[in-house]
Amino acid sequence: MTDDTEYRIERLRHRLAHGELAELGVRVEARGSAVIVSGAVADAECREVILRAVAEELDGLHVQIDLAVAPADEPARAEEL
Amino acid sequence: MTIRIAAVGDIHLGVGGAGSLRPSLATLGERADLFLLAGDLTRHGTADEARVVADELADLPVPVIAVLGNHDYHGEQPDQVAAILAERGIRTLESQSAIVEVGACRVGIAGTKGFGGGFAGHALDVFGEPELKALARKSAALADGLAAALDELKAAGCGLRVALTHYSPVPDTLAGEPPEIFPFLGSYLLAQAIDASGADLAVHGHAHSGSERGMTSGGVRVRNVAQPLIRRAYALFHLTESSLSEDEDATGEAADRSQASESQAAELQASGARR
Repeated sequence: MTDDTEYRIERLRHRLAHGELAELGVRVEARGSAVIVSGAVADAECREVILRAVAEELDGLHVQIDLAVAPADEPARAEEL
Repeated sequence: MTIRIAAVGDIHLGVGGAGSLRPSLATLGERADLFLLAGDLTRHGTADEARVVADELADLPVPVIAVLGNHDYHGEQPDQVAAILAERGIRTLESQSAIVEVGACRVGIAGTKGFGGGFAGHALDVFGEPELKALARKSAALADGLAAALDELKAAGCGLRVALTHYSPVPDTLAGEPPEIFPFLGSYLLAQAIDASGADLAVHGHAHSGSERGMTSGGVRVRNVAQPLIRRAYALFHLTESSLSEDEDATGEAADRSQASESQAAELQASGARR
């Protein structure tokens, strides 16, 4: 963590929102001495784009990644209501 | 009789997104009677992205009914996005209703994007700076539109009514999101409208890290179908006649609804297609 970590987190979030993915669903949060990037994205390509942005914007910080690719398979079953 | 409803939101298709969802829709006609889209169909709300969505969801064997989400408004051309979808048979609702005939059951969909403002006890009110008042008024107006659309469906004798929104009507389905952003994810005004006018199910998206299941204080089941949350092509709900609102049968409205005129239904269908 550095003095400007919170501002760098917001710069990353701004970049993700205004970039090619318009990604607002990924969470970027300072926790202890680390920054955690978590959520689910549409495909592996999206994940790579995000990881590149994370590497550039949070260079030098301790970053933990928990970024899943959400499958889009048919549902296995219906919910009976 | 069982009504089978498929629903998904937040598919966020970009210009390179063709083919990402379509393969999983191959059996949709065998599994569902209608397909609901809970907004954020595009990434930036551009015409090019809308065409990708329209092509991806064109010519499905069941009626497709949508609301737009905040991403679909980002390009500041939501009417054009809706028009492009309409060209491929996808009906977009904003404070409007649509009716789908499923066998002998008339299924009504009331749709609005909805808006933020937060939830009871901590909600935004029409007070202070003009910008904040405008936000609060807009949220209230869209909730009023949802109530009016649900009332239309009741008047038309729909045996099943679904409230379709992008923003959430309840905090239940936001659990998992940071509490600080709840006011940006939904509004209690939507739940108030749903409870006042009545619905059998409420479906929304928007909260990628939320929870799938919730309920309004009036007992209407709420489901968050944001694709990054449900992690499947769509969620599938079966509503049987016995699960439909019991108070209607008790008051005799079930008999009344069978007498609703076809012309009234046709008018509503037409109004649902307008934007």
